[in-house]
Amino acid sequence: MRAPLLTLAWKSLLNRGLSVGLTILAIVLSVTLYLGVEKIRSGVRDSFNSTISDTDLIVGARGGSLNLLLYSVFRLGDPTANMGWDSYELVASAPNVEWAVPISLGDSHRGYRVVGTTADYFQHYRYGRSRPLELATGRAFNGLHEVVLGAEVARLLAYQIGDEVVLSHGVGEVSFADHSGHDFAVVGVLAPTGTPVDRSLHVSLESIEAIHIGWDTGMATRADPGEDADALTPDSVTAVLVGVNSPIRVLGLQRQINTYGGEALTAIMPGVALSQLWEVIGAAETAFTAISLLVITVGLFGILTALTSGLNERRREMAVLRATGARPSDIFGLLVLEASSIAAAGAIIGIIITQVGFALVSGAVRSQYGLDLGGGFGLSEMSVLVAVTLAGALLGAWPAWRAQRNALADGLSIRL
Amino acid sequence: MSVPAIAITNLRFAWPGSPDLLAIDEFKLAAAESLFLAGASGSGKSTLLGLIAGITPANTGEISVLGEHMDPARAARRDAIRASQLGVIFQLFNLVPYLTPLENVLLPLRFSPERASRLRDAGLCPHQEAHRLLDVLGLDGDGLDRASTALSVGQQQRVAAARALLGRPGLVIADEPTSALDHDTRDAFLSLLTTECQASGAALLFVSHDRSLAARFDRSVELDVINKAGGSR
Ligand SMILES: Nc1ncnc2c1ncn2[C@@H]1O[C@H](COP(=O)(O)OP(=O)(O)OP(=O)(O)O)[C@@H](O)[C@H]1O
Ligand SMILES: [Mg+2]
Repeated sequence: MRAPLLTLAWKSLLNRGLSVGLTILAIVLSVTLYLGVEKIRSGVRDSFNSTISDTDLIVGARGGSLNLLLYSVFRLGDPTANMGWDSYELVASAPNVEWAVPISLGDSHRGYRVVGTTADYFQHYRYGRSRPLELATGRAFNGLHEVVLGAEVARLLAYQIGDEVVLSHGVGEVSFADHSGHDFAVVGVLAPTGTPVDRSLHVSLESIEAIHIGWDTGMATRADPGEDADALTPDSVTAVLVGVNSPIRVLGLQRQINTYGGEALTAIMPGVALSQLWEVIGAAETAFTAISLLVITVGLFGILTALTSGLNERRREMAVLRATGARPSDIFGLLVLEASSIAAAGAIIGIIITQVGFALVSGAVRSQYGLDLGGGFGLSEMSVLVAVTLAGALLGAWPAWRAQRNALADGLSIRL
Repeated sequence: MSVPAIAITNLRFAWPGSPDLLAIDEFKLAAAESLFLAGASGSGKSTLLGLIAGITPANTGEISVLGEHMDPARAARRDAIRASQLGVIFQLFNLVPYLTPLENVLLPLRFSPERASRLRDAGLCPHQEAHRLLDVLGLDGDGLDRASTALSVGQQQRVAAARALLGRPGLVIADEPTSALDHDTRDAFLSLLTTECQASGAALLFVSHDRSLAARFDRSVELDVINKAGGSR
């Protein structure tokens, strides 16, 4: 193939602007669809897989690891049992443990789960690429009867700093047992994260204890929020988030916890558990990819139509090119170049559209849904460009081969 | 004596599935000579030109163009010789529709580095030379950057002549280039073509069934006389 063919192919395509334009448009649309689906898909997957990050282990009572992940991170389902406070203290003081944040679940507010924890939670809970929780307004709780709301809770229930909320015992949408007499004041609202944190209310462990005083007997008594700190130390927590100071210590610590004789415990690595869970619920993503790949294929077949339908009218042109010195392989190359240029143009425009489009909306998507639509020209764009161009060339080979065969058979005398 | 522009010996040719169309034992066109080749429709004139141009490979026999053997077994070689040494003018539709007339004239240079370097060796800029030829052939400046399809048939033929002559090829073959032209345009075109071929030292093989044109050439030949095959008649 010779360099001068490039300009010939280019001019030939320009000359047939409308039909070539429509063919390109079909490819642009299909590539845009594919890349859009792909970006959203990987954005959702990434954000799912990093619902919680930088936490090396999650520890809870002995049970299924998926179940532990579901209730401790996604606020779904119920813990089978709690783990003892002394086990928490043991984990927290184990060698190589950098931090350990206990969480206590079991209460709710209008269907949203309440997380009892320590103020360390706001410091150590990370999601995405190590993004910390941020307060949109207000401050973290530092006393009893103070609550920090997740973004969605505040938005959908229209709560503001200073509003009072009442927690309910249990986790149903409609609870029959309110912790009445324990009004919590909203002191802070978190920024959106796109994680279940948005749908949680955060209070101190002591608050949880305080509202449950007397509940052990199953009776709601008016509790006395005594000043006695000891009385408010919980006997048990639901789970513990653990940060380890060295990644290579994680496995060892996990094994230690899982085989701990004092209490039946389960420790999971959230990253591993998350990807296991995604395998289950992410099956639909394969279907999306398959469909958008099919759409690209349909778009590319337009090339075949566009080139093949023009072949007969172009026999003269090919004879002129031959007469001025073109080889049969030049004729072949010209048409393959035209086909791959159409494909490449469609891919490039499609890539630009998705890049610009996502750049425009990514800010809004992030603040609304906490979803990171990874930007920039990356590997997937590059491979789409290469694959679409090659597929275009491949499809062009058929009309190109026919044109070459015609040119050879026609000789110098074309009878049209 | 310089090498002949065309030398054919013992040529045999038949299109696939057809009887022998051409059987030419001996045919020569001297360098810089102009020849009128007459023949009835279907007698194989265009086929012969295709063989000489190396677009169609001969079955047997030998064709040489300016001393270069048009080897049936070497398609790329024939294409290179044609690109470098031949100018071709068709009866109609000579121009690539998506190129301007000027780009059409410059087209052979895309496929033949030799032709381009011949121009450079002569100290000529391809664009200036293209403009000069177009000018000599009576197509001045304006309209040359417009679409080729906007030209009249007579203008198109002259652009084709300029293209055939660009870079001083040794041989110009013309397949009934005047049959679509009216009487006056035809005469003007013919004199321009013969004069320019002479000026650039190119041999001219002009094919037509209109024998009234024969007088304008150095020599004229009937295809039926040199062709021993009774082919398609
Ligand atoms: N590309 C081709 N493939 C097969 N047969 C061909 C081809 N070109 C020409 N022929 C056949 O060869 C014979 C001679 O055709 P050719 O075009 O060479 O005649 P011609 O003398 O140029 O005629 P005209 O004056 O009409 O142009 C015809 O019978 C034609 O059908
Ligand atoms: Mg003919």
